[in-house]
Amino acid sequence: MEKFSFKDVLILFAGTIITIGIAWVLLTVTGFVPREIGKLFFEGAVVGQRNILNTLNIATPYILTSIATVVSFRVGMFNIGINGSMYIGGLYAAWAGYKFTSLGHIPHVSLCIAIAIITGSLWMLLPALLKVYAGVSEIISTIILNFVAVLFVSYMANGPFRADPIAPATPRILETAELKQYFPNSQFNSGFFIAVIIAFLTYFILKKTTFGYELRSGGDGLVGFYPSRYSSYLGIPSDRSAITGMLISGGLGGLAGGIEILGNARYFYQELLFNQGFDGILIAIVGKLEPIGGLIASLFWSALRNGGLFVDYKTEVSREIVVILLSILIFFVSAQKLVSSLERFKFVRKLDAFFTRKIK
Amino acid sequence: MTQKNIETAVEVKNITKSYPGVTANDSVDFKVLKGEIHALVGENGAGKSTLVKILYGIEQPDSGEIFINDKSVEINKVDKAIELGIGMVHQEFHLVPSFTAAENIGLGQEPRNSRGFIDWDKLNSEVSNIAKKYGLDVDPKLRMIDASVGIQQRTEILKTLYRNANILILDEPTAVLTPQETDELFEVIRSLVDEGKTVIFITHKLREVMEISDRVTVMRDGKVQGVSDTKNTSPEELAKLMVGREVFMQVEKEKAKPTEKVLEVKNLWVHDARGLLAVKNFSLDVHKGEIVGIAGVDGNGQTELVEALSGLRPTSKGEVIFDGKNIESFSPRKRRRAGLAHVPEDRANTGLNLKLDIWENLVGTSYFRSPLSKGGIISMKNVVDHSNNLREKFDIRTPGVFVRTGSLSGGNQQKVVIARELSEDPLLTIASQPTRGVDIGNIEAIHKQLIEIRDSGKAVLLVSAELDEVMSVADRVAVIYEGEIVEWVNPKDVDQQQMGLYMAGIKD
Ligand SMILES: Nc1ncnc2c1ncn2[C@@H]1O[C@H](COP(=O)(O)OP(=O)(O)OP(=O)(O)O)[C@@H](O)[C@H]1O
Ligand SMILES: [Mg+2]
Repeated sequence: MEKFSFKDVLILFAGTIITIGIAWVLLTVTGFVPREIGKLFFEGAVVGQRNILNTLNIATPYILTSIATVVSFRVGMFNIGINGSMYIGGLYAAWAGYKFTSLGHIPHVSLCIAIAIITGSLWMLLPALLKVYAGVSEIISTIILNFVAVLFVSYMANGPFRADPIAPATPRILETAELKQYFPNSQFNSGFFIAVIIAFLTYFILKKTTFGYELRSGGDGLVGFYPSRYSSYLGIPSDRSAITGMLISGGLGGLAGGIEILGNARYFYQELLFNQGFDGILIAIVGKLEPIGGLIASLFWSALRNGGLFVDYKTEVSREIVVILLSILIFFVSAQKLVSSLERFKFVRKLDAFFTRKIK
Repeated sequence: MTQKNIETAVEVKNITKSYPGVTANDSVDFKVLKGEIHALVGENGAGKSTLVKILYGIEQPDSGEIFINDKSVEINKVDKAIELGIGMVHQEFHLVPSFTAAENIGLGQEPRNSRGFIDWDKLNSEVSNIAKKYGLDVDPKLRMIDASVGIQQRTEILKTLYRNANILILDEPTAVLTPQETDELFEVIRSLVDEGKTVIFITHKLREVMEISDRVTVMRDGKVQGVSDTKNTSPEELAKLMVGREVFMQVEKEKAKPTEKVLEVKNLWVHDARGLLAVKNFSLDVHKGEIVGIAGVDGNGQTELVEALSGLRPTSKGEVIFDGKNIESFSPRKRRRAGLAHVPEDRANTGLNLKLDIWENLVGTSYFRSPLSKGGIISMKNVVDHSNNLREKFDIRTPGVFVRTGSLSGGNQQKVVIARELSEDPLLTIASQPTRGVDIGNIEAIHKQLIEIRDSGKAVLLVSAELDEVMSVADRVAVIYEGEIVEWVNPKDVDQQQMGLYMAGIKD
């Protein structure tokens, strides 16, 4: 794995400043007072109980989908289909949420979560098998499956699972299936804790267990795809690692969708829009393909998003501006060439060496 | 080289470059005269590759100055180096496998026709012309997947010449070449110099230094140890400067005492990746307490034979009996469990995962065993202790085991593979090109270890393109040609010339 270095911090910092500069110009040109918008933005992101809770709540699916990306990339599989798994997991979590009527809270919620994970995971079985046994690129098959997933859940919400005669939607999940919301002023729910636990668990499994070692042995980086000869040379069945990695990745995607339903939406409806599966890929790369990196990057990302939502809500500034700014920032952070070109400056090299030594 | 006006092509003054925990170049002064062949030698991790990467703009020095043709320059990117007429051929080739030679050579600089499209005919003919001029025999239309290592290397050289390089840097170009290909490369180098080019040549083979270079610079621990005219020095002196002690290039060993049979290969047939027959009706026995060598020009079925024995490639016909069991159906892991270790010829893609940390590569064959892990959980303390022991025992030069394996110098990467495989105390070690890219001091150490393994009653199957290596380490040698054994020889009873004939498939 590429390791974090001072250069990354510098790029993030410089990227933020440049982005703020661009924001300043954009806002001024469109007739706003940048300083006030900035204040609102900051408030929306991290000031006050309600905003903080909302930021954390938004972060939950990002944490899970970015970790889903981390797992798949590090076994050497380019899984682009996490969004599809999210839809499938969400749909079946909703189904289990209204279908099982005689369960207690803990058993019911656990069952729903398990079903979200399993269905999201099974959704990735086909591309994994196609890759291993037929050599079909998982990039292509998972992209296609994303479309299939959208059509499939929309059909199910409109057909077999439809309850509402007016709107195409499933019944509301039972109270026993709900992930607990703790505060009256926010949808923040226990799903967040699940996501954080998953982040640490993934870190532990990837780095500290023989199972994780076997998963990573054939990949462990952005480039260098399955199948690597190293794992087969060691006698680690690399096919099995690739399939397992895809299933875990899909399962985490399913979990993200499930938590969205059980904690926030509480029923599945046809127009429900998930895109965290795609953003998760970017976030994972920003987090250097480390689970904890993904966790931190998700929190950062959500703070920016929530700040943007707040500005959108309070002012006439359009939400698109925020999306543009976020993209610019991501552009900087993921620009590896920029990062390595910083090598040119002596002080960067010095500081880099200094910090790396400090960490060790 | 004309004696009257000696000009310098390259001069670096006081170059220092550190990576976290290592000073790869420590106040290095290095000077290369115009029109000379300058050899750069030194131990693994001495800083040779780092120095030439700085010249080629891949790495930036922390301090120091560079002069090209007596002009002070700052080479902050590869484009700048190319502009200054510097070309480099890396140890690992950077070619697009599905492209032809000409497409690779022209990549990014293709000639255009009047409508702005790539003028393929012109490119092909330009490439042919340069190739002819320097005696670099390459078919411009040959795809790189179908090209031998020697041809790939010539393509890399052509790539630099196409970009008008006057100063050529070759980083361990002969490590992957057969002796014949090396001779051909030397011809090319000489013709380059005749055309007024300057060549910097990194190698671990002192024989080559003596043969081809005009001057030689020795590095150790990031510092320059000495510079001299090649004709005023000797391999012994160079070795001593490199390693800091006397090196015995002659391997010392007792007579082998073979006991029971541990490997029996019976009438084995193996196909290569393209489906062609690579190993034909091959039979061989290896006993405990002996080192059996396989000599031959690269590409005569050695790769496929070794892969078949280690379980990486299916066999078509025949039997492989290991320690009394037919291991045909055994997976690579099961073979390892049965006591078979394997040092593969390709360390970068097979023997290592360069993206993993050093410790992760060192425990690749043992991580699942107690005390390195218990109940599936890796004991970091034990793993790190184990890795540090291996690092010390096998002299792996690194600031620590939590470093990415890819950042090790080439020879040190090889030592990671050797350390992992030999530390398992296997019944049989199949070692394929075990000292490729390793410096002479460590070659000596690895040879000693192989002999120790033998003397402890275990077996070794040594496959090497280095004739000297097989002949001095192995107790009996099979010469392989086009997938068949030409002859079994006793290394003591046969001379180089006779071996040359056998390796060409000529039997007396
Ligand atoms: N990218 C890097 N990151 C960290 N350390 C590095 C990096 N590149 C090289 N080093 C370290 O710098 C030192 C010099 O390495 P270099 O590759 O120059 O050695 P070398 O003389 O070419 O050795 P060899 O003969 O084995 O190829 C080594 O200790 C190596 O581990
Ligand atoms: Mg080197």
